[in-house]
Amino acid sequence: MKKAVLVFLLIVLAVLVLLPFLWTFSTSLKPLTEVNRHPPEWISPNMSLKPYGDMFFYLPFSTYALNSLIVASSATILTLLVGSLAAFAFARFRFAGKRLFLLLFLLSQMLPGASVIIPLFQLMRESGLYDTHVGLILVHTAVLLPFVIWLLYGFFLGIPGEVEDAALIDGCSRLSALRRVILPLALPGIGATALFAFLGSWSEFFFALILTSSDATRTIPVGIGLFVGEYVDVWNQMSAAAVLFSLPPLALFMLMRRTFVQGLAAGALQ
Amino acid sequence: MKKSTPYVLLGPALLFTAFVLVYPLFQNLINSFKDVSLVRSGGGWVGLRNYAHVFDDSLFWLSFRNTAVYAVAGTLLALLIGLGFALLLNLKIGRISHVAAALYTIPWVISPVVAGFAWKWLLNDNFGIVNHWLSSAGIARGGFAWLGDPRTALFCVIVARVWQFYPFAMVMFLAGLQAIPLEQYEAAAVDGATPLRRFFHITLPNLRSISSVLLLLGVIWSFNDFNMVFVMTRGGPINSSMVLPVLVREFSFVHFDLGKGSALSIVVFTLLLFLSLLYLRVAPRKDAT
Repeated sequence: MKKAVLVFLLIVLAVLVLLPFLWTFSTSLKPLTEVNRHPPEWISPNMSLKPYGDMFFYLPFSTYALNSLIVASSATILTLLVGSLAAFAFARFRFAGKRLFLLLFLLSQMLPGASVIIPLFQLMRESGLYDTHVGLILVHTAVLLPFVIWLLYGFFLGIPGEVEDAALIDGCSRLSALRRVILPLALPGIGATALFAFLGSWSEFFFALILTSSDATRTIPVGIGLFVGEYVDVWNQMSAAAVLFSLPPLALFMLMRRTFVQGLAAGALQ
Repeated sequence: MKKSTPYVLLGPALLFTAFVLVYPLFQNLINSFKDVSLVRSGGGWVGLRNYAHVFDDSLFWLSFRNTAVYAVAGTLLALLIGLGFALLLNLKIGRISHVAAALYTIPWVISPVVAGFAWKWLLNDNFGIVNHWLSSAGIARGGFAWLGDPRTALFCVIVARVWQFYPFAMVMFLAGLQAIPLEQYEAAAVDGATPLRRFFHITLPNLRSISSVLLLLGVIWSFNDFNMVFVMTRGGPINSSMVLPVLVREFSFVHFDLGKGSALSIVVFTLLLFLSLLYLRVAPRKDAT
């Protein structure tokens, strides 16, 4: 009896918590006439996937999606290259200033975007990188780096040094030891880190909003965030865009929940 | 092995950090003492004038108050709800607890822009489900503009923020609860302690360090948060929900006064630096070698 009450409570809370999504999802399937109807209905016989197709014609979402893919995948690759070198240095070497550098990376993760955005904006304008993919990729890489270094550092520490010593004795240089021995062993960790980096860039809004100005470079969150006030009449298409945009993070979360939670706890993706 | 190897390996990462962190921060500091505008030439030194403009602006003080309320009230509420959910899930009534834990975490997984969008639509004055329920329950007339009324806008943004942040607290509290040694509870049960006494004398004290970490992290993140307010209200109506990160954008890219924007962002940075140093004091160390 007590268990039944608890199960009921868990279910009610789940519905309450997911309400904003369920409402958005329901809206994304409705024709416009029913979106703008009073009183609103959760389910209607006229539901279809039509808004998911329409949004690509009414708003430039195919361009936004392509931009998001380009920026997020490039930033991921760049962050992993740069980040794994730094993480390797932290995990395998003793050197002067090590604690200071670790602290610098940790602190930079807390830095408010607002306190660097104006000079970054000026820098981008002067160097011609304002409103370009490259500019946004470089900024996202730098923003994601501390988190990626922190994660990879943990993974590298988990690989015993003896493995690497054996490679060195066999005549590998330090760098080829990193490439041939450490990296393959750390591959699962690197894979998880890559996914976080991708999602971090995929969801990033602040820098993407301020450092772009044309549809040719805007990413999906910028599209949603900017249009949410302007195109109030197409809530169903906006909802469809929001649902599609949420699929990658949701799929990832469902597939690897444990790693996901640990990773998010390890650093600030927000 | 050469002595310079670790520095060479760190080089690219330091270069990126210098480019996005160190250089902009110093440039920002310089800007804040200059007359810099996006729309007209200028650039002379003006001493503390930009700071004086910031502190003389009643909008700054309103935003400061809003940001503090948003960060502190939002975080405290999220911690309370997160603790409640963690306690419920920790009763472990079988598989459904795991499924529920996964579902309860979802608000934290999706992009803040989507979260803001979903809440904005939920609270829509004419077609939102919240107004529909309130009017059918006879509590309020329909058509109330939750985000269009200065009395409710900030409150609604805080609700959305709590909704997005509580799962983080829940996950951390759950881990904390599972780390409490069972012997402590057994000993208390032998001594005849009531469940309520066990909660206050064993559970809560064991969660103290997690709570302080969560509180500081939550306040730091919320203090920095631009997304939720920008997407839901843009700081309006009549600045009633304006927060500092959104105000930096407003000064700099809407009023084109980069000098004043820089001064404000240095003020925000100083506040955050203080909070971050406090966090480093209470945070658990991963590796201190």
